[in-house]
Formats: sequence, C-alpha cells, structure tokens
Amino acid sequence: MIRFCLGIYRRLARAFPHEFQMVYGADVVQLGEDAIEEIARRHGVFGLIRLVADLAWRVPVEYLSEMRQDLMYALRMLGKSPGIAVAVVLSLGLGIGMPTAGYSFINAILLRDLPGAKEPERLLTTEAPTSYVHFERYRDHRELFSGVTAYVQQVPFNVVVAGRPERIFGHLVSPEYFDVIGVRAMRGQTDGLVVSERFWRERLNSDPDAVGRSLRVNGHAVTIAGVEPRDFLGAQAEVGADLFVPMTMQAELAPELGENALNRSDLKAFEVLMRLAPGVTPKSANAAAETIARQVEGEGFDADRKDKEAHVRLLPGGSLEPMPPEVRATLLGLLGTLMALILGISCTNLANMLLARAAGRRKEIAIRLAVGASRFRLIRQLLTESVLLALGGGAAGFIFAYWLMGAAMTGIQNSVKPLPLNLDLRPDAHVLLFTFLLAAIAGVGFGLAPALAATKTDFAPVLKQGAVTQLRGYRRLGLRNLLMVSQVAGSLMVLIITGFIVLGIPGKQTRVTFDPANLYLMSIDPVRDGYSPKNTPALFEKLRERLRSAPAVESAAFTGDPPGSPFATPTTFTVTASGGEPAKVVKSVVKAIAGANYFATLRVKVAAGREFSTRDEQGASVEEPAIVNETAAKEMFGSGNPIGRRIVHEKESFEVVGVVPDITAHESGAKPSAGVWVPMNERAYSRPPEGGVTLLVRAGEGRDAVSAIRHEMAAIDPNLSLFDVRTMTEQIDELNRLFASAGLVYGGFGAFGLILASVGLAGVTAYSVAQRRKEIGIRMALGARRGQVLRLVMKEGAGLVMAGSILGFLGAWAVGRMLAAASPDMAEVLKGTQPMLLIGAPLLLGVLAMLACYIPARRSTAVDPLTALRQE
Amino acid sequence: MAKRDVQVFLPLKTNWFHIMLSLTGQEQHGYGIMNEVLARTDWKVRLWPATLYGTLKRLIEEELIVESDERPAAELDDARRRYYRLTKFGRRVLEAESERLEELVGILRSKRRLEAL
Repeated sequence: MIRFCLGIYRRLARAFPHEFQMVYGADVVQLGEDAIEEIARRHGVFGLIRLVADLAWRVPVEYLSEMRQDLMYALRMLGKSPGIAVAVVLSLGLGIGMPTAGYSFINAILLRDLPGAKEPERLLTTEAPTSYVHFERYRDHRELFSGVTAYVQQVPFNVVVAGRPERIFGHLVSPEYFDVIGVRAMRGQTDGLVVSERFWRERLNSDPDAVGRSLRVNGHAVTIAGVEPRDFLGAQAEVGADLFVPMTMQAELAPELGENALNRSDLKAFEVLMRLAPGVTPKSANAAAETIARQVEGEGFDADRKDKEAHVRLLPGGSLEPMPPEVRATLLGLLGTLMALILGISCTNLANMLLARAAGRRKEIAIRLAVGASRFRLIRQLLTESVLLALGGGAAGFIFAYWLMGAAMTGIQNSVKPLPLNLDLRPDAHVLLFTFLLAAIAGVGFGLAPALAATKTDFAPVLKQGAVTQLRGYRRLGLRNLLMVSQVAGSLMVLIITGFIVLGIPGKQTRVTFDPANLYLMSIDPVRDGYSPKNTPALFEKLRERLRSAPAVESAAFTGDPPGSPFATPTTFTVTASGGEPAKVVKSVVKAIAGANYFATLRVKVAAGREFSTRDEQGASVEEPAIVNETAAKEMFGSGNPIGRRIVHEKESFEVVGVVPDITAHESGAKPSAGVWVPMNERAYSRPPEGGVTLLVRAGEGRDAVSAIRHEMAAIDPNLSLFDVRTMTEQIDELNRLFASAGLVYGGFGAFGLILASVGLAGVTAYSVAQRRKEIGIRMALGARRGQVLRLVMKEGAGLVMAGSILGFLGAWAVGRMLAAASPDMAEVLKGTQPMLLIGAPLLLGVLAMLACYIPARRSTAVDPLTALRQE
Repeated sequence: MAKRDVQVFLPLKTNWFHIMLSLTGQEQHGYGIMNEVLARTDWKVRLWPATLYGTLKRLIEEELIVESDERPAAELDDARRRYYRLTKFGRRVLEAESERLEELVGILRSKRRLEAL
C-alpha cells in the first residue's frame, strides 16, 4: 500500500509546472519518501490519501499561479508599447465587433423561439395568409394537427384608455389561438378580450383588478377577460400584438371580418398556426395540407395534373421569424461566410503585428530559453499576451456591436413607424459567449503561429550576433515582399469595393416642390372608432364642413398616403391601347389615395385637367378617375395627351382626369418617381391603410390649427381618436433622417474598410522594415549616409506598393464584376468611375505604407551601427 | 528598495506563521520544518509536502525567507537538501504578527476576568 501510494505520489510530482519542478520537484518527492512511513503509521490509510490529495491539489494551484505571473508580465509588456496595444485592440475590436453584430442579428431573428410558446418545434405556419375556409378544413384533421388556429395580424384598434383614445395593434384570433401556442393567461382566462402584459403594465398601470374592467375598443365597451404572461406578444412576435380579440365578438370590433370574410375561400387574410399531432412529421403534414387546400379550391388531387405548383407551404412556426428552411440556411451561410472573412482579415492583421513584435523580442526569448525556461512556458507567455489583446479586442467589439445594434433597432423602428416593433437586436448572453469564443480563437489561433515561430530559435546564434535569418517562414526576402505586396493589394481591394458602395449609393434626400409651411398631418381611422364604412363618408363630410368654417384652417383634404409616407410602395400599371398606340406596362409607379381638394391644400397647381371633387369621393363618376404626375404621364403616354386615357391596375380600370407636377424630388437629382392618385371612396374607408386616413390641413399663418381640429372633432364625436399628429416639415425630415441613417451605415462600412486596410498595411510594412535593421546597420557601418539608406528602403517600399496597387486594382475590378453579375443593384452602384476613389484610395494607402516604411527605417538609421549589428 | 509595509501580510496565514516560526533563530530544511511544526503543535498541524513547498516558494517570492547558502556542520548536513532562513523583513512580519496575536490574547484574558467578576 505504501509503495503504491508512493508510486502515485512520484508520478503526480512530475506533473508540476516546469519551473516549480526544477526548483522543488526533487525536494517534494524526497520529503514524501521520508515522511510516508511515519504518516502511514500515525494516520493509516487516510493519511496516505491525504498525502496524495495534497499533492494533487497543489499541482493546479501552481499552474494558476504561473498563469497569474504570465498575465502580470504580459500586462507589463503591453504597457511598454501602448501604441501597438491600442491599435491591435481597436482593429481587432472592429474585426470581432462586426461578426458579433452579425451574430446578434442572427440570434435575434433566426435562432430565437417564439416567446411563450410551448414546444415551439411542433408548431407550423402557412407561408402566406390563407382563407378562413381553408383554416376550418385544416382544423378538422385531428389526425394531422392536435390544434389549429387562425388569426389576422397587425390589426389596429382604437382603444380608449383613461379617457384618451389610442391606436393599439393586436390580433383577431380564433378561439383555439392560445391553446395551440400553449400559453396560459397570467391573470383571468383567455376566453374573451385578452390583453398583453405590456399593455397591462403600460396602459393599465399594472392594475391588479384589470380582469373584469371594461375597455372601449373601436367604440364598443368590452370586458377584459385576461392578461397574457410577460414576453408573450402573439404568434408573430416581431410586430407585437397587445390586444387579442376573438373573431366571435361583434363585427364592429373588426372591420377586417366584414364582407363575409369567414365564409369566403378567396379572401386570404388569415394566418394559420398549427400544432403537429404526435408522430406526424412536418413533411407529411405539408403533403396532407396540400391535398386539403386543393380540395377546398375545387380540384381533386390528381398526380397527373399539369398544375404542379404547390397551393400551400408550411413553415416552422415556432421561431421568431418563420422562414423556409432553405432561406434560413442560405442566410446563415451567407452571414457566416461574411463574418468569417472579416474576422479572418483582422486576425491576419493581429498575427502580423504579433510577428513584428516577436521579431523585436527575439533576444529576450533567446535569453529565457538559454537560462532554462521551457519552450512550452515561453509559448504560453506569448499566447497569454495575444489572448489578452484578443480579449481586449473582444470587449471593444462587444461594446461596438451593442452600440451598432442599438442604432440599427432605432433605424428599423423608424422605418415602420406606427407599428410597435418588438425586435430586440441587442446582444444577449448568447452573443457575449459567442464574442468571447471568437476572441479566444483569435488570440490562440493567431497568436500560436507567431509564438511557435519566435521560440523555435536556435538561440545560440541569436545570442551571439542577433541573426535575422532564424524566424521561420520569413527567411527569404521574396516571401517577405510577397506578404507586403499581397497586403497592399488586399487593402486596396477592400478600400475600393467599400468605397464604391459608400459613394455609389445615391443620396435619397427628398424635398417637396410645394410650400410645406403651416401644413399639418394627422391620422384618423373612424372605422376603428365604431363607424361603419357606409357612415364614414358622411362623417368626413361633416368634419370637412366644420373645418371649413374654423378660422384657423385655410383648407383641408383627406388622403391615404401623404407626401413622404413610408408606406408608399411601387406597383405596376397597364396603359390601355388607344388611338393606334399599343398597350404598355409601366413598372415602379407609386399608387396613392387622395380625397377632394388634396392638391389645392398642398398648393400644387394642376397642370392639366382637374383634381378630385367630393363627387369622386362618393363614386359618382361612371369611370373611376385617376390623376397622374408629370413623370408618370411621360412614362405612360410619352408626349401624348394623358387626359381621357385609360390605365389599369389589378383589373381595375381608371380614366386619367388630371396631371399634376412632381411634388417630391430627390436632392441628388435622381429621377423622381412616377405617381398615380385614385380617389378616396367608400372602399378606401372600409379597409384603411395601416397608417389610417390622413387629414391634411393648411392652417392660417400663426394659428393653432391642431387644437382647433381637436375641438371640432370632439364636437362631432368625443370618441374619435386623432393620432400621429405632425407637421409636413416633420414628416419630410423624418423620411430624410431614415435615408441619412442608411447613409451612415454605408459610411461606417467605408470607415471600417479603411481602418482594417490601414492597420494591416502599417503592421506588415513596419515589420518588414524592422527585419532589415541589421542590414541597415551594416550599410551604415560601411559608410552609407542616412539619406542614402532611407532612400534605398523607401524606393524598395514604393516598388512593392506599386506592385500591390496594380494587383489590388485588378482584384477590385474582378470582384466588382462578380458583384455586379450577382445583383443588379450592385451593378448600378459599381457603374460609375468615381475618380476621387480610384486615385484617392491608392494614394492614401501609398502614403500610409511609405509612412510605415519611413518611421522604422529612420529609427534603424538613428541607432549606432555597432549597436544595431550587435543587437540587430 | 523602499521599506515594505508589514501590515499587508497581517493576519499571517497559519501555514506561513508556522513555517516562519520554525525558522526563527535557525536555518531549516523542509523535512526539518515539517517535523518541528508537528512537534511544536503536538502532532496537530501537519504541513503536507506539496503544501509545504508551495508555501516556501510563495514566501521566497514575497521575500519573507531566502534559501540559505551557508551549510550547517558537515556531520549534520544532508547535501541533497536546501536550507531556508528568515529575512530581516520576514522577521519584522513575524514580530508584527506575534504582537497582534498577543494583543488578541490580552483582550481575551481581560474579558474573561471581567466576566469572572
């Protein structure tokens, strides 16, 4: 037993760190041997165990203590050259920060499960909205789905909270909704009107008696049945729902369900979420759903049918953002590659700088090796330094990513303004771990090669004469030059490509051609306030009547899409053949809705024909009228007269009755967009856009129009809610701010490319010149003058920079061609010549490289040649 | 070197105290220290070998003890062993610790006396 323990003891003692072993190893073993008999006698087996355990415990303790020493030493070394340390931390911070931001994005959008959902991997959803009839058929198949629910998303409700009407977004849900998702009410139950925890907290002040309280929703009193748990904001969480209104409630609560929506199989307005029955795979469920959909649409499923196009596609429904698996995979792959590339470049920079540093420290390393430090120990020391740098970079990167994603969130929220976005892009604990791993990989992976190279010295010659030739891999002049040429080329490529992207994105700053002073915009949505689409025109007429007599108001009009609306999306019109001219399809036309007197209120003179009247609002004309702007007129009819011509949009035919000038223009002189206005009639009221109907008011100079309008509206109906009140100038500024922030993102890309390129280039150049210190010393010793040596070094440097620049141009051109081939947007961006960039970028890099040559070269010539020769 | 503050080491760790106590007035090797501590504490405190040498290393790093170059008389010398002795600074630290402990004992005694009254 004693001998056995002694055996273990001896073996364990050998596991001590090298230095401890050298000094105390023998003593520890001997003391153990001396004492073991006495210990066994006195303490028995436990004593022996204790003896071994003591040793086993001390081994890691000694290692930790050495690591602490390494760390202190590393900090001291970095403190000695703070410039390099700061440069590395910053460039690596960017290199790690960008992938971290990318991962935050992936984490927020692709990897998160639907908050609050039970077993989210068993949930499926239809790719596109479908009809209620389809939903009912799916629901009947209990063998496929253990539960199916249908809902309408992004439904605005006018809710009166504490006497103030507000516009709240919610879901219209089928009764199965909460069961299918697997979420229970935090308070009350889910049978009836349910509110989110966010709504309960923010609007109801966390009222403990909220359940049973009455709420005015779209002009009707409804009792709150329950409050959902925290974090649950509906089945599509990125645009959170705060109200969950059962479809079974009165029709007034949901104009979306009008027009017999629940019994039509052609009205595809319903999202469907299904929970798979046990044992059913998503694939078989999709196949079965396809059959059902075809049955509903009146076709028996027939394998020989020509129409092989799928009618329904089911997607994983339990993730935050449902998307087809292949899209998800592509997105992940693309972002992953991009992230790896950025990280790779900045890690190469790190490795280069560490190499340069290691070269300068070869003597220190050689001495330590000579006096008996193990190579392993030295590598560990160097690795500690690189990991420390990398962790510093990681910390900087995380802060950078946090800031970036915060800015991105604000940007995205601004672009979808009225919808309450619930998208948390900011890095969480997962991302922190990811960043930490990246930093550790960067530190070890890219510190290891320089550390290995630096310690693989045959130290005798270094000690003797400081031979330069020993650093492996950089032995030959050719290789060293190659490194510099490729770095110049790579840096130039990065700079030119990012530069093109930055400069090529056209400025989208918008201005209006009419007078925006004293113009106010405010939104109303009477249908959500309990008015039926039939009553709404009368209400609007009454409102217009009252506003006309209000002294603060000069003129007023209704519109669906005011100038500068973020909802304006281009669509396609067809021009009907007429007078020998063939039919023509015109794309990228913005379709907007305008009420009577709209252009007069804007003070835009109608160029030809007329603008809409109240008769058009009532739908009195036989043919629906339309007004086009000059750009649209040119694109649609050329130089012909547009008045009286027909245009068709989604099977609806319009007759052009007027032409107006372009009312918005881009600062950059980019082509104004074509616009077509159609009258605001009953149909437009009944399905108002998400932003509601906008009331456009031209106020008298210096008059408080907003309170006057509030007053008039309250006089008609105190429950009418007015939201999104802003001036026209604010509206345009808002839009421009959006474009400006996009510009900022591209500018950030450019700065990022520049920093990455500069740091890498400076590192390699400085290293390459530092390597020649001894050669410079010899030249100086042989009588070369300082100027001569400097000229020599600079000349060679310039040659390398030239070679690199040419390669860089070629590379940038090739990559540019590839990008242009991949996307037409890119082709547009890369089309220009951008002389400033093409001359400026190589000039900038050249100056930088020459500076990076000059400083170390000058330093080398400044030292006494003898010292340089001796010390290298 | 500037005079170091003894206070940063107080209260002294038990192991440190025992080792330094063993080195007052004499030089000792590891085995000797272990045995002396055992004897002095009536076999209650055993400095296990690895802990002992780990602590010795730390004490040297803190310059409380040094490895001695002088060897004892030839007949007592074990050539394989290293001997350690207290530094001046180590002695001051040990004294400061002893005073601290004495003060504590004094406080304890007077408190007992008060309770006995």
